[in-house]
Amino acid sequence: MNAPEFIQLRVKRQDNPTSKPYWEDIKIPYKPNMNVVSVLMEFRKNPINTKGEKIDPIVWECNCLEEVCGACTMLINGVPRQSCSALIDKIYEKYGSDKPIVLAPLTKFPVVRDLMIDRQIMFDNLRKVKAWVQVDGSWDIGRGPRMADRVHEWAYPISRCMTCGCCMESCPNVNSKSNFIGPNTIAQVHMFNAHPIGEMQKEKRLDALMGPGGIQECGNAQNCKRVCPKGINLTMSIAAVNRQVNKRALQRMFDK
Amino acid sequence: MSSAKKSSFYIRRIHSLVGLLPIGIFMIVHFLINSTVFINGNESYLAAVNFMKTTPGVIFLEVGLIAIPLLFHAIYGLYVVYVAHNNALQYKYYRNWAFYLQRITAILTTIFIVIHVWTLRLAVHDSQMVIQTLVGWLQNPVTLAFYIIGYLAAVYHFGNGLFTFLITWGVAKGDRAQKVLSIICFCVFLALAVWGGGLLYSLAQITF
Repeated sequence: MNAPEFIQLRVKRQDNPTSKPYWEDIKIPYKPNMNVVSVLMEFRKNPINTKGEKIDPIVWECNCLEEVCGACTMLINGVPRQSCSALIDKIYEKYGSDKPIVLAPLTKFPVVRDLMIDRQIMFDNLRKVKAWVQVDGSWDIGRGPRMADRVHEWAYPISRCMTCGCCMESCPNVNSKSNFIGPNTIAQVHMFNAHPIGEMQKEKRLDALMGPGGIQECGNAQNCKRVCPKGINLTMSIAAVNRQVNKRALQRMFDK
Repeated sequence: MSSAKKSSFYIRRIHSLVGLLPIGIFMIVHFLINSTVFINGNESYLAAVNFMKTTPGVIFLEVGLIAIPLLFHAIYGLYVVYVAHNNALQYKYYRNWAFYLQRITAILTTIFIVIHVWTLRLAVHDSQMVIQTLVGWLQNPVTLAFYIIGYLAAVYHFGNGLFTFLITWGVAKGDRAQKVLSIICFCVFLALAVWGGGLLYSLAQITF
């Protein structure tokens, strides 16, 4: 690959949550081994667009810089992924270095400004399904039972979910017309329901997943599994939790 | 109607269930009865149609096992089609295309079945007239094309729907199970496509 003179970006910007989005072309001198975050950092030192106008630096969110927090997720050439692990040289290998790299905010979440989005809905969803192990109480309940290795083997990968929103972004059934809770939340229920102590809230989690916007809204497009940056087997979790909610529905009908 | 407060769990599960039982099973029975045309053309086919129409109480089966489930599946299904924001051009994965095709075939099948039922069940009732009308449709290239698109849409919708049914009901869980079952369901689609094609061909050969 011939090293280009500049790294060119085409960024979809939005000044505030309600204003109209617009495209901005920017560039910085090429250096090897950069990622999208470092390009944006470099640009804000001297924020002048390709037309030569001085502009506000581009707003985006980032945190860990090692693909574990999910904050810097955005659409990079149309693909939802973390900008910290989006290496410029790798992008050029795939798409060629002559075209600008297109950055846009995720489309399934409210835009705060430019590339910064509000993923609060995902955290609200996790709260709805009690995606935690409940140990708080008025006395010490002592150590819980150990998790079997065979369970741990499939549950651990689910714990790597960083609530980044890639699965929500790619899901055709997550949109403004639906209130689908999303693949990641279903996977978390799968994991916490398998935990020896977490299992004690199993029914409550399943009831929440059978509620409005629950697991029934899944249409099996299975994009979630394909785009998950952590390689979580979301479709296996969805099928597994389908089994659990069906059983739960029978319990609710015939156990009383 | 995005049901902010009410859960769609049971209606969605019933929607999934009736797609296979009774609708999918009915479609196969329908194909089986049509297959009498393979034996000796119009003669055996007419006998089968007459038998169906003269079975006592068949109207209750038609309404209870076919009309009501089919209307429910179609009407709620159109709402499901409406709710999706298709993105198969952005995420060009096989399953995502299947998801999109499932919705396209939903609409095509609905149009096909409405016209199919209207022309062959509601508008005419005499067995010989039904067969004449059908054969007339199949001998005209435009309406034949309509029939080919319609039955292919229906059998694809059934084959792919069978696979998603297996996920919805928690049967196909693991990767291997999903892969094998999706291949089997695709073969079901292919088999029904060949079978239905054979039916249309044989029916179009009927002469009076």
